[in-house]
Amino acid sequence: MKIDPNAWPLVDALHDVHDPETGLDVVDMGLVYEVAFRPEDGAARVVMTLTTPACPAGGVLLDGVERRLREVEGVRRVEVELTFEPRWSTERISEAGRRALGWS
Amino acid sequence: MNPVLASRHAPSFALIQAHFGAGLAGACLFAATLGAKALSLEGHFFQGAFLGLVHLCVLGWLMPIAVGAMHQLVPVVFEVPVRSERLAWTALGLYVPGVAALVAQMWTLHNGWTFAAAGVLVAASLWLYAANLLATLARTRTRTLTGCYVIAALIWLLVAVTLGAGLAVHLHAPWLRINHLQLLRVHAHTAGFGFFGLLIMGVAFRLLEMFLLAYGADERAGRIAFLATNAGLVLVSFGLGLPARALTLAGAGAITAGVIAFLVQVRLIWRRRTRRTGEAAQALTLASFAHLLVVALLGAALALLDLEQETLDRLTLAYGLLALPGFVGSVVVGQLYKILPFLVWLHRFAPYVGLKQVPSAGEILPEGPRRLQAIAMQLGLALLAVGLVAALPWLRAAGATIFAASILLATRNFVRILRSQP
Repeated sequence: MKIDPNAWPLVDALHDVHDPETGLDVVDMGLVYEVAFRPEDGAARVVMTLTTPACPAGGVLLDGVERRLREVEGVRRVEVELTFEPRWSTERISEAGRRALGWS
Repeated sequence: MNPVLASRHAPSFALIQAHFGAGLAGACLFAATLGAKALSLEGHFFQGAFLGLVHLCVLGWLMPIAVGAMHQLVPVVFEVPVRSERLAWTALGLYVPGVAALVAQMWTLHNGWTFAAAGVLVAASLWLYAANLLATLARTRTRTLTGCYVIAALIWLLVAVTLGAGLAVHLHAPWLRINHLQLLRVHAHTAGFGFFGLLIMGVAFRLLEMFLLAYGADERAGRIAFLATNAGLVLVSFGLGLPARALTLAGAGAITAGVIAFLVQVRLIWRRRTRRTGEAAQALTLASFAHLLVVALLGAALALLDLEQETLDRLTLAYGLLALPGFVGSVVVGQLYKILPFLVWLHRFAPYVGLKQVPSAGEILPEGPRRLQAIAMQLGLALLAVGLVAALPWLRAAGATIFAASILLATRNFVRILRSQP
């Protein structure tokens, strides 16, 4: 995950957006690829993916990310970009996520 | 530019709810009727009560839920909206009265023109469903193994309902030159294995991947299962219809091989799972696959062995029980435990994502009531199957009662899920 040095408060906020099936948040699921923030004009940008293009919760997760980031202090504009390059795989799940899934 | 989200193609929740509601009403009616008739479940399958029960199970319970789930799943998985939502509503409007009239008249073996008309009405509604979904699939650019299974299942559905309508007309005004029992067997197998079997097998690959986070398994076993099951179905259809025992035997062997290949594919996906889950939904799904294996082996044995009529009758009834409420019913209830909370979550809880803490889809209903229901359902089915094979009326009654209670419990669970609010 590529994180702009100014963007850590946004990453913290993204921990509040959960996948409805696994219960994991989008960061621990490994769905977030990039987070950037420009304090001067309040522009936040997230590049993220879904577990599969046919993810039935796709729209909800994207909307949830946008809604949550708008709540962060200093954020005035949010851009959420969806990509499937590279494709998501289970290796992207964080250690905390693996523990929550009962895997390690 | 963002790729178009597959989830945006889903149809209205009302359409899915209407199908699931009809299916749950049918399930309760079937379970209650099965409980009431358990003591007298004996003899040849061609009796009004058996035919009524089987059609109540298939058309009243399993079919509306399968069709409702397909209308949700196909647009999302294949990334294309349903060809016509209005057509789906029209089909449901024809379907419900058609099934009610058909089952009621079948029960009394009333074969007047209204019986034939009800059969044609049900067939017409299912043709509309199949045509609508095939037209939807024709617009997708996504070519997957699951897509092949779904298309084949819909084609077998067209065959099964056409035979069913033909039989309904024949029982009113005979026009077929072959024995109607032979055609009835073909109708049952094309509907049971052709439609439900292939649909469940194909969709299972996708749903197991999604729910278990188990992507990337080699699909060769799934492809072999597809070819073997379809080839077996063609052979069995001709073998039972002509009749030609060698063809039936070859077909039963191919279907059994297909089922085994399917189970190998399930195992490959299961081994890649990232989630360790002890959910009732997955337990019911695995129980369903165990039923499928028993049904395939029992079907092969019935084709192979020369049994005396009484034994054949008992095993045939057990075969039907394990195939329909066992294999199809278990997976329908199991997957509904996954699909329904998710849909309720999507439509009621999702607007709050990112704004406040919302439960996950699985937390909408505690696991305890689901586990209890799953155990009761499998226990009821097991007792009922043993009671049928061993001709023990009290065991059949006990099994049917437990099974009926499990269906009522499942319905209560589903209603609780549907009524949950953030």
